[in-house]
Amino acid sequence: MNLLDMVGLGFDNLRRTKLRTALTTLGVVIGIGALTSMISFGSGMQKNITETFAENDLFTSLFVTAADVEEIARADPDRVQEFLEEPPAPLNDETVDAIRGVEGVELAFPELRFPVRIQVDGDETRTLLRALPATMASYKPFSETTYGEFFDSDESQEVVLRWETLERLGIIVEEEPSGIAERDTTGKKRSVHPDSIIGTPIVIISSALDVSKIPRNPMQVLSLAGDMPVKEVATELIIGGIMKQASAFGSNTWNAGILVPMNTAREIPSLGFSSVWEILRRQGRGDTYASIYVRVDDVRHVQTARDSLESMGLNVFSIADQLEEIKRGFLIMDAVLGAVGTIALVVAALGIINTMVMSILERRREIGVMKAIGGSENDIKMIFVVEAGTIGLAGALLGLVLGWVVTRIANFVANSYLLPDDAPFINFFHFPVWLIFGAVAFSVVVSLAAGLYPAVRAARVDPVTALRHD
Amino acid sequence: MNLIEVTNLRKIYRKGAVSIPALRGVSVGIAGGEFISIVGRSGSGKSTLLNLIGGLDTATSGSIAVRGSDLSRMDSGGLAEHRRRTVGMVFQSFNLISHKSALENVALALTFGGVPRGERRARATALLRRVGLGQRLDHTPSELSGGEAQRVALARALANDPEVLLLDEPTGNLDSATAREIIDLIRDLNRDAGLTAIMVTHEQDIAREISTRVIELLDGRVVGSGREEAS
Repeated sequence: MNLLDMVGLGFDNLRRTKLRTALTTLGVVIGIGALTSMISFGSGMQKNITETFAENDLFTSLFVTAADVEEIARADPDRVQEFLEEPPAPLNDETVDAIRGVEGVELAFPELRFPVRIQVDGDETRTLLRALPATMASYKPFSETTYGEFFDSDESQEVVLRWETLERLGIIVEEEPSGIAERDTTGKKRSVHPDSIIGTPIVIISSALDVSKIPRNPMQVLSLAGDMPVKEVATELIIGGIMKQASAFGSNTWNAGILVPMNTAREIPSLGFSSVWEILRRQGRGDTYASIYVRVDDVRHVQTARDSLESMGLNVFSIADQLEEIKRGFLIMDAVLGAVGTIALVVAALGIINTMVMSILERRREIGVMKAIGGSENDIKMIFVVEAGTIGLAGALLGLVLGWVVTRIANFVANSYLLPDDAPFINFFHFPVWLIFGAVAFSVVVSLAAGLYPAVRAARVDPVTALRHD
Repeated sequence: MNLIEVTNLRKIYRKGAVSIPALRGVSVGIAGGEFISIVGRSGSGKSTLLNLIGGLDTATSGSIAVRGSDLSRMDSGGLAEHRRRTVGMVFQSFNLISHKSALENVALALTFGGVPRGERRARATALLRRVGLGQRLDHTPSELSGGEAQRVALARALANDPEVLLLDEPTGNLDSATAREIIDLIRDLNRDAGLTAIMVTHEQDIAREISTRVIELLDGRVVGSGREEAS
């Protein structure tokens, strides 16, 4: 008897007990549906994050910070002496130039950012200003400016705003503006066409040191409370472009409300830091910058570039490292979700065993007949194994459909009710090819394993007792 | 040399601590082409002997050699091969698969016999015609009379061209007229096709009438083995 015959006989038996087969298969369908939808959730989260990393070019990005004696002491006390004798390069323009000369480095520029207030059309909000070189226009995510254009020179007077920043100003940018935004309850928010924003002046109000307010007499410092030696300076620029809406998984690497050309930003008076942490870090180091962004030309060169930078005594940090951590986290999440799904499948497998053991009791005589006319134990075993495998295969295919449908519904519900209305659509679930084939293989293997015991029992049916006439 | 040589065959059924001897040392030789009837009272061991020769069961001791190969030395695969190729079995209660048509029942035996899919239908049809059921191919057992069902069983037993036909009370469930037809059919197969037939029956008259030899069992022993002249 060949495999085709066994499949034929197996199918024949399943057809005869349609309801029972359907119910047993339903168990597998639910098991595989649960398993795949759970794993697809873990997989979807991982995909979203990885894509966001890729979208922001984070796999080729390195962040250089100044080496810190405390950190070195913690990591390797023996290096402290070396560090003190030959202090590493401070983060200034010379170092930026030196980094540009490192093999594999495509571009390097200092991190220049500071808090500002911005005013557009009379509305005001606070945000973080970030200086970027015009060359970034060719890299993601800046190459995908939704409206207008990224600035074309480091001296340009045009700035790029994030969609969200405008929203905070009460301006909803839409291709088809409705005039009044739907969410507007106060009457302040308005939806406008991008064309009416591009080219609009923007006032950037930054804080700068006011030399005139610095006390001559050091004892006077105590009375300065409420009157810091700081003045506000307004700079007027023009809105040249608007970034697209960030996804919910958006990384905060480029998290700044307003992007200003590098040299233009240098002209804007500022206190030159955005956090107290930075002041502490830079103290007495002669650093001009808090950190330097480095982009490597190819993922394969990241490690060598990194080694070169570290040999310059610089601290190098890569977000891609964090991704590995995140992936490990997802692996654990996948395993937990997978385990829950597997329990459902194990219950389904018990259903298969139960159905088939019952089936053997009913088919004792038939099994006896098959043996009497020449069926071997292996033939009988295989017929039952094929039946179990068929249930597993059908259950897996239908289970995948169920899992897909359930995740579509869950996705719709999550996007409709859980996320803010204006957030871009997120696909929380992802069915990679390995999951599809893996689920089918897993289901078939589990079902075959479940069918093995009944199959062995069937093969051992004693034909003499089975055929004894009633 | 005999086709089948049964030597000092013993079969003891065990149920827990109780041993029930079914055969207590049976020896018998059967030549090719013989028509043997095994007679005896209920529980005398007739069916047990037939099942052992058919390879459905294994002996406790002793041997059954078919063309020199000993069934007691065969594994389950070897016994399945023996049932498939060497013997064809017919039972009192027909033992047809109820949800399959006459044709499918015969074809199933061909399936186990390794006959290619494409040839099965034609061969099963030819076998059913041979037993006079050419018009009942697609009927299921419940749509057939007892005699017709037993003919299907006969066709199925003949499917893989066996050398020996093993018949366990083949007419036990049939009225006398139908029984006569079946007996005649079996006798024709024995005479015309040279098929060796071993039939268990308790109808001594029929046994004596058609058999070349009647073996009588009593309490698991052969008590008589007389050569009869077939009519």
